[in-house]
Amino acid sequence: MKRFRYLLEYAAFRAGLFILDRASTPTAEKLAIILADAWYMINSTRGKIARDNIIRSGITSSNIEADRIARASFRHFAILVVESLKSGNVFNETNWKEKVEIDIDPAAMEVLQKPGKGIILVSGHFGNWEVAAQLISYIKPVAGITRDMNNPYTDRLMKERKPRNRFRLTPKHDAGVGRLLSVLKNGEILALLIDQHARARGMPINFFGTPASTHTSPALLHLITKAPLCFGYCIRTAPMRYKLRAIPPIVYKPTGNREDDVRTILEKLTAELEKAIREHPEQYLWGHRRWRTKTTGTD
Amino acid sequence: MTQQEIIEKLRTMMRKSSQAQVNWDSVNADSAIASLGFDSLSILDLVYDIQQEFGFEFEAEELVGVKTVGQLATFLEKKQK
Repeated sequence: MKRFRYLLEYAAFRAGLFILDRASTPTAEKLAIILADAWYMINSTRGKIARDNIIRSGITSSNIEADRIARASFRHFAILVVESLKSGNVFNETNWKEKVEIDIDPAAMEVLQKPGKGIILVSGHFGNWEVAAQLISYIKPVAGITRDMNNPYTDRLMKERKPRNRFRLTPKHDAGVGRLLSVLKNGEILALLIDQHARARGMPINFFGTPASTHTSPALLHLITKAPLCFGYCIRTAPMRYKLRAIPPIVYKPTGNREDDVRTILEKLTAELEKAIREHPEQYLWGHRRWRTKTTGTD
Repeated sequence: MTQQEIIEKLRTMMRKSSQAQVNWDSVNADSAIASLGFDSLSILDLVYDIQQEFGFEFEAEELVGVKTVGQLATFLEKKQK
């Protein structure tokens, strides 16, 4: 039964990709917006989560404004999917700098361009993180961490489809002790998204003033390897146009107290993400249940 | 410290870091680290603890082939010499 459902999902997914591949980017984006609006109306639970999160964050106290931001966030995510899938045809090693505004702090750029220097690059589900990885990989190879999709057919299809350049994915469910450390040792960028609910493993860190279980891995990696820790993101400024931004590497002198060190680093990173979201709230994935209690289930 | 003592120590550290339901008394040199509830992110807790406990840093590539508790203990045993 499960296999049948997976095959049905796969067929629907393939049909969607078939249309997407043949449509121009503006047409595909119009279609994505229609689907996003429909999804926002049909999936009232997810819409409510998004609106509640926006109110809870304090970005607005108006229900009307929260509804506008939530709807825009759904649209943004749909466009993100389209542009991520089409970005491989738009950007390449020679033209990407003409199409992207680069606002990377000189100190961050220095470590990015330094051959053999591994970097921990932290971001959130904000702007277009998929395109960000592709663009940054024109500077230095990028490794991201991925969890396999439940449906093995769509999982395989998506892995084949993702524009790669020098952006590769490494599986989360791999306990090779040196797997992530070797990415940094090889002088590559290890890209981590900091804003997914980390369940019981995480550390509660205030996100817009409310504790949210946060993955400790960016901080631990920095403490273990001393690799530069940068925060950056990629804002969509127009169809298939982006602004890449990165702040100076975070400088932190460890105290030796694991709890304090990890917490301070995570607070700094989370504060940067908050600041970026406040500037462009429509480009954040508000539908994610970020403030679940530690032990609640999957999103 | 002998390899057996290191394994004993690792078992205590892993029990603390892992969230999985594991019969820790049965963990031995042949136990795969992946079977003890670690993934590529949660293993970092253990790596950090090892650095603090054993008091030395190590290069990433030294750990790339390490898949079992015994291999990790052997690596640490060599490192302390």
